[in-house]
Amino acid sequence: MANVVALGFDIGSSTAKLVGVTADGKLAFHRIEPTEPRIEDQATRMLAEARAALGGGALPVVATGYGRKLIPGADRAVTEITCHARGVWEAMGTPGTLVDVGGQDSKVIVVGAEGRVANFAMNDKCAAGTGRFLEVTAARLRIPIDEIGAVSLSTKKSVPISSTCTVFAESEIISLLAHGEHVENILHGLHRSLVSRLVAMVRGVQPRAPYMLSGGVARNGALRAFLAESLGSEVLVPAEPQLMGAYGAALLVRQG
Amino acid sequence: MSIPGQLAYQLNVNVLGKAALRVQRWQLERKLSKPGTWKHETLNAPIDTAPWLKELITKHYLTGRYANGARKVAWVTSGAPVEFLKALDYFLIYPENHGAVCGIRKVGEEMCTHAEDFGYSRDICSYARCDIGSVLSGKTPVGRLPKPDLLLCCNNICQTVLYWYQVLAHHFGCPLIVIDTPFIYDEAREHDIASVKRQIEDAFPIAERVAERTIEPKRLEDVMLRSRDAVDLWLKVLQTGRNHPSPITAFDEFIHMAPIVEMRGESATVDYYSAMLSALEQRAKDGVGALKHEKKRILWDNLPIWYRIRPLGEKLAEHGVAMVASTYTNAWGELAELINADHPMDSMAKCYLHPILNRGTGHKLQTMQKMLTEYEADGVILHSDRSCKPYSIGQIDQRNAVSDKLGKPALLLEADHTDGRAYSVEQADTRISAFLELLGV
Amino acid sequence: MPASVDLPSRTTVIERFKGQGGRIAAVLPIHYPRALFRAFGMLPIEVWGPPGVDKSTGDAHLQAYACSTVRAGLSFILSGAGEVADAILVPHTCDSLQALASVLLDFTKPHQMVLTLYVPKAERASDLEFLGKELRRVFGRLVELTGQRPTDAELHAAMDREQQADEVLARLLSERGKLGVGNREFYGVVRSREYLPAEEFASLARAALDKWAGAPLPKRTPILATGIMPEPMDVLDALDEAGLSIVADDFAGSGRRLYKASTAHDPFDRMAKTLLSGSPDPTRGCGIQPRIDHLVDLAKRTGARGALFYEIKFCEPEAFYVPLVTRGLQAAGVPCLAVEVDITDPMPDQLVTRIEAFAESLS
Repeated sequence: MANVVALGFDIGSSTAKLVGVTADGKLAFHRIEPTEPRIEDQATRMLAEARAALGGGALPVVATGYGRKLIPGADRAVTEITCHARGVWEAMGTPGTLVDVGGQDSKVIVVGAEGRVANFAMNDKCAAGTGRFLEVTAARLRIPIDEIGAVSLSTKKSVPISSTCTVFAESEIISLLAHGEHVENILHGLHRSLVSRLVAMVRGVQPRAPYMLSGGVARNGALRAFLAESLGSEVLVPAEPQLMGAYGAALLVRQG
Repeated sequence: MSIPGQLAYQLNVNVLGKAALRVQRWQLERKLSKPGTWKHETLNAPIDTAPWLKELITKHYLTGRYANGARKVAWVTSGAPVEFLKALDYFLIYPENHGAVCGIRKVGEEMCTHAEDFGYSRDICSYARCDIGSVLSGKTPVGRLPKPDLLLCCNNICQTVLYWYQVLAHHFGCPLIVIDTPFIYDEAREHDIASVKRQIEDAFPIAERVAERTIEPKRLEDVMLRSRDAVDLWLKVLQTGRNHPSPITAFDEFIHMAPIVEMRGESATVDYYSAMLSALEQRAKDGVGALKHEKKRILWDNLPIWYRIRPLGEKLAEHGVAMVASTYTNAWGELAELINADHPMDSMAKCYLHPILNRGTGHKLQTMQKMLTEYEADGVILHSDRSCKPYSIGQIDQRNAVSDKLGKPALLLEADHTDGRAYSVEQADTRISAFLELLGV
Repeated sequence: MPASVDLPSRTTVIERFKGQGGRIAAVLPIHYPRALFRAFGMLPIEVWGPPGVDKSTGDAHLQAYACSTVRAGLSFILSGAGEVADAILVPHTCDSLQALASVLLDFTKPHQMVLTLYVPKAERASDLEFLGKELRRVFGRLVELTGQRPTDAELHAAMDREQQADEVLARLLSERGKLGVGNREFYGVVRSREYLPAEEFASLARAALDKWAGAPLPKRTPILATGIMPEPMDVLDALDEAGLSIVADDFAGSGRRLYKASTAHDPFDRMAKTLLSGSPDPTRGCGIQPRIDHLVDLAKRTGARGALFYEIKFCEPEAFYVPLVTRGLQAAGVPCLAVEVDITDPMPDQLVTRIEAFAESLS
């Protein structure tokens, strides 16, 4: 692990991700923790732990994510859009269109040559297009968030959820439950609803294939399957979908 | 005009289409006239002329399908002065009506999505999104929309059409005529009328150049007379709603308004509404209402929620509530007195300046109050239509005035005329139920 | 960084003007004849929101899908903050402002005179003729209000002063790329045109030009910006921090109000011609291609490397143009970022992130 030459630190709204890369750009180290309210303290601690684990030397750091300006000692702060593009390009070795579903934001990034951002879009203020949408509704249905994808795929029946906002959707779910609808069918519909928001964003950016998915939600099999179905194209997922932002940040150290 | 285009048009529209549609209409009429066919619990059978209406509308879109190559086509806004285009034999497409058809057939969302995929915001009018989405994708529930040779945009219904028609003009690259009607906050001034008159006059040569023919004054006069007759009849149709029980509901009017909007100035429209009027008068005489048991009567304000017409109508009917009139359908009848074929230009200018949507929020409240009295209605549902700002903004004060000053229940119902995603079924249901409780049914 | 330009506040300007016996007109967006009011000894003070206002008073009359400028504008008038005004002018700009004027006239009925002005949506001979007469009508209303009747010469003199102020504003905007000043400070001066008397604005802007022309140029990526106005002004700080400088201005409140001088003999014809001479404006239903051509030309002339569409949520006229106009700019090699804001909300973090990401993609 001593060959790590740079660190990338992605502090998002729900998780903090720290990644180390080697001189030839390999992802050689990572840590993930839930984001704590005192971001600065957490960042200082995580960095100290990482440096100790990696041999104690000072390593350059690029920070990204919502907490990017709060990371003490970071050499540079870069937005998660630029970082995700760079990270996923390195991981997948191809330009294309990346869908990143985060806790607070979803984004669609058209990744150009060398991992540059060619175009991007983000969800509007409403949370219906984000991971939070699934979290809120999964909580309402009392299904652990890790299981909702599998539960959705367990049925072919999708209950249409027409509402576009999380609050509306919640009231719709309550009424569906009141009418005796099965939980798995509702979950199926919810995934479809989220995917339709994502696809609308994809279509708005003049996308190019292949399509890629990152963020913690990429592990949700239903989301990936429905997205592929709606886009009419395969959706690639990198080995560490949650780390793409931090990975891209670490890679950007060299370009500083 | 191409010869093959003309032939295809004549054959498909005037020979095959006409015959097929007539047969369909007879079949439907026969079915409906059989005793015992109609079994609805709360609603009486539809108005006898419904099959004829279906024939008219289908024929209209069938004509549109074959119009390019045979006739000049103009796309026009719903409140535009179309008489001179009719006199030049243009075939007219009303994108707003097409939007309504998309809503009724429940493909509004899909059409909107095509526009949104191109980058159009969900906050712009859903009629415009439907239309632009249809143009961009080539999809439509009516088969095929003919391309326009001319666009005519009159902002007496909203400013939205100004921007929307610029998008269409950019897409189709054809001439765009704008009739800019100054908004009437209290009353029209001389220079307002003079300006609209001059703009209509200036529009003539443009329309003539595209049509490659000139307007014959006699034809224009005929069209205007037929327009006035149709508008007169339409108003009388609406006024049958004053009977107890009312032989018609606003839900019926929403469906039957297609000819007055799309086929104004045609003799078929005049014939249709005279037949409809006779049928309604007969019903009124026989004491047959649209509802089997009418207990309360209400008024509707604003555009319909096209994709919810049936469930809303049925819910109200279950409680014995008849929606006997609407400010929206009334808009195509209330200007009848302003049309004067002896002074075509002046009367056109005045008429097209005065639709309810080009007048102040206070005037709309007065219209509602007048209609509440004339139709002896007990309450109002004001559809707060996200897609129609000029109709909707002002409704909060109008609602308060109706409920506070007149003491009649008034419900502000949040929705959108074509985009079902802006309608929360459960929320709306609760509100309507509460409103029905206020009405005491 | 040179010392800031000393800007008097709106309150100071209003108090001073009233102290000298002048009257105040509160004016809503966008196009209206400043000179007409000045000829009556009235100072127009523009109400573009304002962003700090509590929207709840306006929300008692307007649905949530009226834009934040309109809701904040009505709240401002109803909250008593508009009490300093002797008249309120609502130019006909869009469906929402049309409704606002109508609600004022028919329902809330403030004690001030409420004036409307129909601004035609095209520039044909018939539009000019109409607007001339419409301006005469407003003139008549102001005679009623003030008891004064300015002469043609007085009207022309007032128009001359506005013309000079417009010329200085045009210089400010066209020389922007060579001025050593940040976005925030620059727009402080540009937007003082919304409330300063023309002559005061002209001299203040000239002084600013002199000062900034000599200041060192910071390293910035030049961009074009369009929308209704840069409000809340925190966005300008975000641009400064991201290293972006607005060198090409197409905001409705500034760049689209660079009216051309007219030499018409009749004062009302001159006023009408001037008012309809701004650059293509969606709120007046301009053509798509003319607007693309104008913006591409503006970007080329100023060296702007990207374009920011800074739009207010629910602003329909602006929203209709975004898809085609951004495509037109992109085809001409100008990348675009379109964002939406509610002017009464604090700057969302996400917006800052988007602006920074856009800056990163341009550098």
